[in-house]
Amino acid sequence: MPTVAAALRRSVAAALVIVAAMIPVTLPAVTRAAPACAAATGPHAALVIDTGTGTRSFCIALDATTVSGIHLIELAGAQDHLAYGFGSGGQAVCRLAGVGPQGDDCFADYPEYWGYWHGDGHGGWTWSSTGAASARVGGGALDAWVWGSGDSGATHRKPPTMVIDDVCVPAASPATTSSPARSTPRASVPSSGSPSSPTSTAPSQPGTTRSADPSARGVAKTSPPGGPPTAGALAAPPGPPPASAGPGPGLLVALVLGAALAGGGWLRLRSTRGRSAS
Amino acid sequence: MIDRRSVHPMAWIAWATSAGFVAFLTTDPVYLLLLWAVSWFVYASHRVDADHARSFRLFLTGAAVAVALRTALVFFGTVNAANTTFSFLEGLRLGTILVIFGTFNAVTDPFGLVRMAPRHFHEPALAAALALSIAPRTVAGVGRVRDAQRMRGIRIRGARALPALAVPVLERGMEEAHTLAESMDSRGHGAGRRSRYRPQPWTGRALLIAVTAVGAAATFLAASVGGWAVLHPQSSPIVWPEADPLLLAAVGLLATPGLVGRREA
Repeated sequence: MPTVAAALRRSVAAALVIVAAMIPVTLPAVTRAAPACAAATGPHAALVIDTGTGTRSFCIALDATTVSGIHLIELAGAQDHLAYGFGSGGQAVCRLAGVGPQGDDCFADYPEYWGYWHGDGHGGWTWSSTGAASARVGGGALDAWVWGSGDSGATHRKPPTMVIDDVCVPAASPATTSSPARSTPRASVPSSGSPSSPTSTAPSQPGTTRSADPSARGVAKTSPPGGPPTAGALAAPPGPPPASAGPGPGLLVALVLGAALAGGGWLRLRSTRGRSAS
Repeated sequence: MIDRRSVHPMAWIAWATSAGFVAFLTTDPVYLLLLWAVSWFVYASHRVDADHARSFRLFLTGAAVAVALRTALVFFGTVNAANTTFSFLEGLRLGTILVIFGTFNAVTDPFGLVRMAPRHFHEPALAAALALSIAPRTVAGVGRVRDAQRMRGIRIRGARALPALAVPVLERGMEEAHTLAESMDSRGHGAGRRSRYRPQPWTGRALLIAVTAVGAAATFLAASVGGWAVLHPQSSPIVWPEADPLLLAAVGLLATPGLVGRREA
């Protein structure tokens, strides 16, 4: 029966192809290891985000010898799910970790805005003399973004004292590109936008519509105003897991739904068994 | 009220594809764990027979192992709460897809699917059916060989006893495949003279299952594209996952097969 043998062989081969085709689907999910600081391989830089209510630091694996300050944030979004939003055509930093204006105008909340700092490698910080799009960040460098008011490094709030080893635990390499020579005040973000309606002095207002949007990883597409604000998205010191806002009402509904499904399934199974036994 | 006929296989394909797509789109543990509950409910309502039940359990175990392995991968990087959570959620997504696949396996007859395929796609469909049925048939085979060995007083334990178990299982699998191929050949498969004996009716129930499943997938796709709901909860820092009412309803829609009827045992 040649047709049978051939069909069987072809079918088995095709089955193998199907199984092989499934491997790349599952493999990336398995091999893409933790988005962490594997400090032993490749250049790493530290990114510190200070929202005023909490500080988060990320150890970012660079995908080039040097990257721009903007790209460092994009990498943090890809590697550690930092939510961000850029303005002025992707040149300025408007929104980080749910804090900052939503639109294209990064000074919409002036006098509060994201100040840009470079670590000097000894724990101190210098005000960036260039915008994030043109700043170069290399292996071992520290970049910090601080939400606050003050038009220069003299008056703007500084990030906490920090060196690269505090962020990238076994340091990748000593600070190479962070030079203490950047000191010209105020160039972190384009000076577009008019200073309007000064907001309150509270550094971030996690209750308003523009706040805390821990939405999608990467690009912060910013949920529509009125969406459930999740306070405390970043309101915690680095290190121990943060105390976040409590669970929402949706979770309760989900819990009830899940319990109903699980219980219903169990009852079904039991009744089926009972019927087949009798 | 209870319909004794089984559901059209195409409806199950629509259900499994949609549920898998939903799981693929999100890492929110709320939706993912709900999908586990939905799969369990559907499986409990529609499982075909005991062999398939065993294969569902196998996939359940596989899913748990996948979650554990994916979470353990965090040890290759920096171990902290955020990374562990991220890894766990990725693993949970993988496990959810496995559970959905296990459910699909348990509620359908893979060879019923072959009958559905258009003539030109008969061979790929047969290959797919063989691939789909390998897991349940192997599990059933292992069970049978175990029983037989036990009756002969052979205890299957540990790695040394593996040949005693594996050889008969493989042999049996080959034998079954040959028998299947021969029987299909004798019925005209592959020769273009195959007849449709008792075609499966496409009932309103099956239509409902397919439509609700596709609706659920479309809702999640809209959320993913439109960005009006959080599908990937932030893990650095960890926040409580959110549960959008519309998306909860969409996941609930996937439980339709369990609600519109069940298989009589």
